[in-house]
Amino acid sequence: MSPHLRRLLASIGLDVLRSLGIALGIVVFTFFVIRMIPGDVVDVRGLEGSLTYSQQSAMREDLGLNKAWLQQFLDWSGMILSGDLGQSARYSIPIVDLLATVLPSTILLGTTALAIGLVLGIALPTLACLYPRSVFVTLVEAITIWSITVPTFSIGITCLIVFAVWLQWIPAIGNFVVPALILAVDTAGTLAKGLYEDMKETQRAEFIRAARAKGLSRTGIVLRHVLPNALTVTIALIGLMLAGVFTGAITMEVVFGLAGLGTMTLQAIQGRDYAVVQAIIIWLGFAVILANLVTDIVRKLVDPRLRNV
Amino acid sequence: MSVDASPRTMSPGHPGLSPLTKLAVAILAVALFIALAGPFLATHDPLMFSADMNEGPSAEHLLGTDDAGQDVYSRLLIGTGLSLLYGASAALVALGVGALAALLALAFGRPTEIVLFGLVDLIRALPGILFALACIIAFEPGVGSVILALGISFAPNFALITRAAFLHQMAQPYTAAARMLGAGRTRVALVHVLPNIAGALVTQFAIILPRCIVSESVLSFLGLGVSPELPTWGRMIAGATPYLEEAPHAALAPIIALSLVTFAFAIVGNEVRQRFNISRRSVVL
Repeated sequence: MSPHLRRLLASIGLDVLRSLGIALGIVVFTFFVIRMIPGDVVDVRGLEGSLTYSQQSAMREDLGLNKAWLQQFLDWSGMILSGDLGQSARYSIPIVDLLATVLPSTILLGTTALAIGLVLGIALPTLACLYPRSVFVTLVEAITIWSITVPTFSIGITCLIVFAVWLQWIPAIGNFVVPALILAVDTAGTLAKGLYEDMKETQRAEFIRAARAKGLSRTGIVLRHVLPNALTVTIALIGLMLAGVFTGAITMEVVFGLAGLGTMTLQAIQGRDYAVVQAIIIWLGFAVILANLVTDIVRKLVDPRLRNV
Repeated sequence: MSVDASPRTMSPGHPGLSPLTKLAVAILAVALFIALAGPFLATHDPLMFSADMNEGPSAEHLLGTDDAGQDVYSRLLIGTGLSLLYGASAALVALGVGALAALLALAFGRPTEIVLFGLVDLIRALPGILFALACIIAFEPGVGSVILALGISFAPNFALITRAAFLHQMAQPYTAAARMLGAGRTRVALVHVLPNIAGALVTQFAIILPRCIVSESVLSFLGLGVSPELPTWGRMIAGATPYLEEAPHAALAPIIALSLVTFAFAIVGNEVRQRFNISRRSVVL
């Protein structure tokens, strides 16, 4: 095994260990935070008057809510490790099934937004580099300011007022296109400015002058040399953007009345359905950790300078 | 419109604010004035219900009324103060907790550093407002828990900035000199390094403050914000959303206020960053 490969593997191994540590931290954190909430699901259903006192204690017994915290934690982490997320105490169905019904729509919204956002966020700076005196430079600026200053949920409501109430182009409930576009522009904005500046910086590098001297065309240089070199920094942002898109999707779902993870999260919080809230936090956290791990590894594969342990 | 153009060279004596920055400063000045003078400018009790529900703007109600017949204009004035106050408090908590914890952890040595920055990674792995959301449902909703939860969720940004700036300063000769004169690690960190990284922290603060204001309104919108009697912008938006058809003005007024203020903060934050000569990349988003 060459020393280069060994260094790469050692560095990736450390990343994996770190990610596992954070994942464990999330499991512990969610368990104890959720247990700090005064009142459990049985109390809520008791207040709603749907359970008698003896039914309540039977339900607590059944759910293990009267055992010691540590015992509950051990039982529960064992269950999570075996891939079982438990049951929704409110709906009495497995959380996996509950997630399976809502996840597809949230993933569809999130990935559509992410895909459009990535295309827009990479294409605009590239065009701005190719045509430095064109409208694209202004567009990069505009989209950046937009994404920093305009909160997605408030632009969502504004769009509802303009397009659903005043112009009546879209239905007030269940529109998919508008929230996807809002999230896409937001994603593109986080990406565009940094990429544009990295590209401008790369253009000043020596090897670009060499490529120019070799006789490569302007377009060829930007597409084949400047963009790939500037993209390594962008890859690092993808984990962050994924997180942004999914939390954005949660608020967008609530605003536009779409069924999905967001609406489910809200209902679970209001109904004190611990297990569901835990599952959502854990799986979103895991998704972000995994995305960050993958981006770290990809960056190390494409950029040898990052391999130092 | 050139915001955040390539690094400008500015001579220290001549600030030369761009028109956009001047506009942003003016917006913030007006917002601050309203925050302080709001109670005197209000025409109605912001909490008083009336039978005039979802009415459009009139001489009696300058910005109309909301679904409970409350005066939108008066609520907006009071809400400006509350939103700015809660946002600023949360950002201050984040700054204090993040920067101090990071400095002390770094001063005490490797084990504390690993523990603290493990915690930082943990909080940053829970996307966006998810961490704040978990904290608030654990502490019971209320002003204190909203501020604390947002403060803790944004503290990692300050901790990361502090670590980067700290390591940079520790490589400078003056810290070595202070150590050689007999100053302890904690003393070097708090007395010598802290003043030298203030610029980086102020810049980060200017970027986090508007995000705290927005996060507070998102939490209120999701029903986990401060109590309904406190008309922050988020609460006003949340309250007006079910009645967009009857009273769009009740939602638009706080949305416009929120957007103007976040816009102004973003421009000013960018200006602050350039003043302290800090590169875009060394800011933690």
